[in-house]
Amino acid sequence: MMGPAPAGEQLCGAIGEPEVMEPALEGTGKEGKKTSSRKRTLAEPPAKGLLQPVKLSRAELYKEPTNEELNHLRETEILFHSSLLRLQVEELLKEVRLSEKKKDRIDAFLREVNQRVVRVPSVPETELTDQAWLPAGVRVPLHQVPYAVKGCFRFLPPAQVTVVGSYLLGTCIRPDINVDVALTMPREILQDKDGLNQRYFRKRALYLAHLAHHLAQDPLFGSVCFSYTNGCHLKPSLLLRPRGKDERLVTVRLHPCPPPDFFRPCRLLPTKNNVRSAWYRGQSPAGDGSPEPPTPHYNTWVLQDTALESHLQLLSTMLGSAQGLKDGVALLKVWLRQRELDKGQGGFTGFLVSMLVVFLVSTHKIHTTMSGYQVLRRVLQFLATTDLTVNGISLCLSSDPSLPALADFHQAFSVVFLDSSGRLNLCADVTASTYHQVQYEARLSMTLLDSRADDGFQLLLMTPKPMIRAFDHVLHLHPLSRLQAACHRLKLWPELQDNGGDYVSAALGPLTTLLEQGLGTRLKLLAHSRPPVPEWGISQDPPKHKDSGSLTLGLLLRPEGLTSVLELGPEADQPEAAKFRQFWGFRSELRRFQDGAIREAVVWEAASMSQKRLIPHQVVTHLLALHTDIPETCVHYVGGPLDALIQGLKQTSSTGEEALAVAVCCYDDLSRLLWGLEGLPLTVSAVQGAHPVLRYTEVFPPTPVRPASSFYEPLQERSSLLPRLDKPCPAYVEPMTVVCHLEGSGQWPQDAEAVQRVRAAFQLRLAELLTQQHGLQCRATATHTDVLKDGFVFRIRVAYQREPQILKEVQSPEGMISLRDTPASLHLERDTRQLPLLTSALHGLQQQHPAFSGVARLAKRWVRAQLLGEDFTDESLDLVAAALFLHPEPFTPPSSPQVGFLRFLYLVSTFDWKNNPLIVNLNNELTVEEQVEIRSGFLAARTQLPVMVIVTPQDRKHSVWTQDGPSAQILQQLVVLAAEALPMLEKQLMDPRGPGDIRTVFRPPLDIYDVLIRLSPRHIPRHRQAVDSPAASFCRGLLSQPGPSSLMPVLGYDPPQLYLMQLREAFGDLALFFYDQHGGEVIGVLWKPTSFQPQPFKASSTKGRMVMSRGGELVMVPNVEAILEDFAVLGEGLVQTVEARSERWTV
Amino acid sequence: MKVGPWRAGPERRAWSQGAGQTPRKRDRAGAEPQLPAAPALPGGKMVARRRKRAARDPEDCIPSPPGYAAIPIKFSEKQQASHYLYVRAHGVRQGTKSTWPQKRTLFVLNVPPYCTEESLSRLLSSCGLVQSVELQEKPDLAESPKESRSKFFHPKPVPGFQVAYVVFQKPSGVSAALALKGPLLVSTESHPVKSGIHKWISDYADSVPDPEALRVEVDTFMEAYDQKIAEEEAKAKEEEGVPDEEGWVKVTRRGRRPVLPRTEAASLRVLERERRKRARKELLNFYAWQHRESKMERKPRPAHPQAPRPWPQPWMRPLARAPDSGH
Repeated sequence: MMGPAPAGEQLCGAIGEPEVMEPALEGTGKEGKKTSSRKRTLAEPPAKGLLQPVKLSRAELYKEPTNEELNHLRETEILFHSSLLRLQVEELLKEVRLSEKKKDRIDAFLREVNQRVVRVPSVPETELTDQAWLPAGVRVPLHQVPYAVKGCFRFLPPAQVTVVGSYLLGTCIRPDINVDVALTMPREILQDKDGLNQRYFRKRALYLAHLAHHLAQDPLFGSVCFSYTNGCHLKPSLLLRPRGKDERLVTVRLHPCPPPDFFRPCRLLPTKNNVRSAWYRGQSPAGDGSPEPPTPHYNTWVLQDTALESHLQLLSTMLGSAQGLKDGVALLKVWLRQRELDKGQGGFTGFLVSMLVVFLVSTHKIHTTMSGYQVLRRVLQFLATTDLTVNGISLCLSSDPSLPALADFHQAFSVVFLDSSGRLNLCADVTASTYHQVQYEARLSMTLLDSRADDGFQLLLMTPKPMIRAFDHVLHLHPLSRLQAACHRLKLWPELQDNGGDYVSAALGPLTTLLEQGLGTRLKLLAHSRPPVPEWGISQDPPKHKDSGSLTLGLLLRPEGLTSVLELGPEADQPEAAKFRQFWGFRSELRRFQDGAIREAVVWEAASMSQKRLIPHQVVTHLLALHTDIPETCVHYVGGPLDALIQGLKQTSSTGEEALAVAVCCYDDLSRLLWGLEGLPLTVSAVQGAHPVLRYTEVFPPTPVRPASSFYEPLQERSSLLPRLDKPCPAYVEPMTVVCHLEGSGQWPQDAEAVQRVRAAFQLRLAELLTQQHGLQCRATATHTDVLKDGFVFRIRVAYQREPQILKEVQSPEGMISLRDTPASLHLERDTRQLPLLTSALHGLQQQHPAFSGVARLAKRWVRAQLLGEDFTDESLDLVAAALFLHPEPFTPPSSPQVGFLRFLYLVSTFDWKNNPLIVNLNNELTVEEQVEIRSGFLAARTQLPVMVIVTPQDRKHSVWTQDGPSAQILQQLVVLAAEALPMLEKQLMDPRGPGDIRTVFRPPLDIYDVLIRLSPRHIPRHRQAVDSPAASFCRGLLSQPGPSSLMPVLGYDPPQLYLMQLREAFGDLALFFYDQHGGEVIGVLWKPTSFQPQPFKASSTKGRMVMSRGGELVMVPNVEAILEDFAVLGEGLVQTVEARSERWTV
Repeated sequence: MKVGPWRAGPERRAWSQGAGQTPRKRDRAGAEPQLPAAPALPGGKMVARRRKRAARDPEDCIPSPPGYAAIPIKFSEKQQASHYLYVRAHGVRQGTKSTWPQKRTLFVLNVPPYCTEESLSRLLSSCGLVQSVELQEKPDLAESPKESRSKFFHPKPVPGFQVAYVVFQKPSGVSAALALKGPLLVSTESHPVKSGIHKWISDYADSVPDPEALRVEVDTFMEAYDQKIAEEEAKAKEEEGVPDEEGWVKVTRRGRRPVLPRTEAASLRVLERERRKRARKELLNFYAWQHRESKMERKPRPAHPQAPRPWPQPWMRPLARAPDSGH
């Protein structure tokens, strides 16, 4: 059973943040701590999880500020954006930083490690290829391909053990604390020319293997295993974790490195070759005397080992004394981690960011007195405005002519950032795509910071951006072994030689360039996942390249590029035409265009919006098959698996945008007819749509109705069709509401009852005129006129602008007229004023963001499939979906329903409805000041407002669309369901073998209900819309061709809905009823927890209860047995069975 | 939950015996159709045994709240369990007005949703001629006005559990009903009550409106309305210039420029204007006491720093007399 919402239950960020920042002033030092604890005891427990301002005693409130506090305030003013931001930043840093206590424990562990390492016994010299001396329990952590290599190896304990990296600097962040330890191998182990042909790396690996064998026997360590340093397959490292409760505390990584000055730097320049083709490929170099290809990456990896200590020194001199810089680095690391940019091979690591900070300090762009926040800003700004792929940067100050030029590095690497030696490219492993992603994120973050948004901090540093939620489409390449063939096809042998056979890294660059070129204007950003760095036990062989999971590419699409099916090439006689043909292969055709030009062009097959959205799929599979020999079966494109849930019955090619457009078009025609109607006493002044179809958010768009007359009972005198008892329930036709305003007039009566009559007269007249002048089938009632036009049924409601006003007027005995909101007036105002405004605003949103329709419909579909659809109004869910487009930060507006739906789930599961209104700034009408005002007004009036508050420019105070629900329990249930569905769905979509059954998250849990009422499909008109569409259902009396009958079809006749209405009316105060209106076959009933409590007899609350004597007293309890039978009686014909799970309750 | 069709209490039994004649008499008259099966249930021997058990074991009878009698009611024979109507003779305290006739009215609680006015009338007709049955959402002493219920403008709401006022022609009907044992069956073979699909289809057919009837209704209403307005205007014209008994003359301006409407918003606006005007003229910190007071106000009050703000003063409520009526 659903309990009340627990206080602030939210998903924490990936770094395990406290979800609620306490808005208490945190002092510094001892004194501050004391006051804050006192404050906390004074503060009352917050009522029902609402954030309350801290209450201070009078003496404390008016106490003079201390010097410390004054300084603090001044600092805040100078160094931070706002004091709230400062509090948030400090809180975050406190959370990610290591505590002193833990540091002590880590230090102790490091000392132990040091002692153990220097005591490992030495081994006599053997040939490198003779590895028989290695003990049985350990494997060399390196692929020795080719195996034969010259040189000898012996093990000697390290000459020096040094801690390097972020741990010493104090910039390492929790969780996953790593401490890097460099082991300097004694000079005796190495020989001349060890830089050649992986000899150094082989020795390094053997060194580690021996070390691992001895350390693994030590009881000090909980686990001893291998991993790759930054994912580089030639450079294993040894991971040591303490035993016992500290196992998760720290990972010590051992990196063997050569003695200083062992390698001659000039041999390791990016233009030099150190892996001979003769050795690597086993063939003599081509006789034509072509030079050996350079091996820049190989050289860099060797250089990296030599520079470990100098980098540490540089960092500690620059960052050592400045706390602000360290804070900045920590913040940047959090920023990168939330975006998954720092992980895996070729990631933009924390080390790179630290070096970037050093660079900015050395170029005087950052000052050492700056705060962490300012450092973050400066670095982001630098990243956003520079392009290291074109203009590399260097920390090297010397102008030694022997140093290589930057241009050499640009030749060899895509991103260039040289260290202080001027020979090592720090960004050697960073691919162009990763760098572009960093740039893009930095740009986004800068705009966010500049927009003065209140919750910039939250969005910047607290919101995780996993790939599946950040990118519109995602594609997996699986299995990875196909990339080996791709390398050969792309002739990437030198790269393979350079990368030591790592075909994934070798192919990645050319692959992304190919796709970027092919997707062209459709693409905003292409990113690739960085294969995670594996860990393996010391007794296992190192994982193969193909085992490193899958390669996942994320595509961020440009919505305006998605509308075209054409790839326009150069004119046929241009020299570029050949290139174009070569690029696109057989898809390139010569076409003649309307302006007479004959051009090369590629045309993709796509008729509907959803197919156009998936053109990138066609492009990718075509190009990959054409240029890299990766067959379609290996490309798992995840762009539209969720589309199936909003597809119409027989239209698998479209997700309904076209059908909705047809309906909207018909509505436009109708409104034109209404405008031109002659003979109405008052002319029509405005026609406004007020139905989900007219704002493109109806889950299943209407289709033109063509009733088969034999299926119905005709009622000729009223030209209507009626359902028949002996037939299954006819198709469900929902009329689309249209509000029709008339020109102003003083002739309207000023009495509510009379206005109703006059309106009815207008409805009648409207029906008459539409039939006379345009031959439309109409049916007028007192409140609306139904019009059948081209198979669509519209429900026209005439509105009188002053009617809500009249309903509000209350006359006091003295004759004073005052305006009081009444339920009737609010309802009317909502239907005739606010709903049309909202509909037109969302209609506009759809024109801007074509994916809006899909997202809103998927979201609604999901909520309804979870049987919660009745508690949330259509409009409220549409507005939540609109918020994803209007306030996408830290993302960009979704361009595919899939990513939009994931973000909907994320928003629903993490939004703090208790303490925040969801502001949906339609048409950008609210200024920042107004939003602040709305927020403060919200906090003041929180208790009077509904559980879920959605604010729009038209509705700033009342949240009309959530007034009548959901209740706190229902909302909590939705939050829980969304929090469960999101990781499940993301895991499915990220599964490289295909998503599996995508409908899993759409199936509701039924075990939580007390009673299940199963319905007969015969009388469920929308049976075919069910999540698991039935294989067979009943005929619903529709023709595929327009029939002769032009009688009004059966409107809004949905037996399950009628049944539910009766149930809720009769048993609403005893139970809750849940149903999926889209073809649900079951109604879930939940007894209200309070309803079974015996109550004293009261004449007003006997509904469905009976009197019983309990302990000599007469009390009332629900007459459950009779009620269960009533369920069947009220739904006679519709109800199949009533399943009571009586074990779940006791009366 | 075993339930027998019996109630305890000797005086109730006496009631039921006394009321026994009424249906028989009516049967002879043939005015009302007879209930099939239902009244024939308690056979003589079985009744005796049950009665004995009831006397021995009071738990076995249907408990009912004090003052009420419980009558089991089921939809049809097929159902196992039944709901209970709690019935009582309608009576009000001295001095309370009620439009329902005393003594002849039966007040029924917990009428199930499928039970219509017709079926209730039929079920209770065995106790005496039923004059009227009215179902309501909650107990209400006044009879609702019959004529305003237009089926076009006030469609019937979906029924839930309701209360009913059943008016019998004779007081004996009430006492007979109080002794009714039931279980009453709402739907029988001879008088089936529609539910489920049957009901919804017929409801749908009923909801398809007849435009002509609607037009007629609108026309009659508007005619009456226009007439009423015209009468009011005529009366106002007649009264113009004629002093009432206290000697006041009502003056209305019927010009092109409308006068200030007598609405709350307008009067608040006027009050605000007045206040501002006064504030302009008023001198601040002029007198010594003013000075003192303003100083005190600036200093936080020691006793209740956050004293609740007083509710709007009485003068802020709408005044009977608009303050600028003289202008």
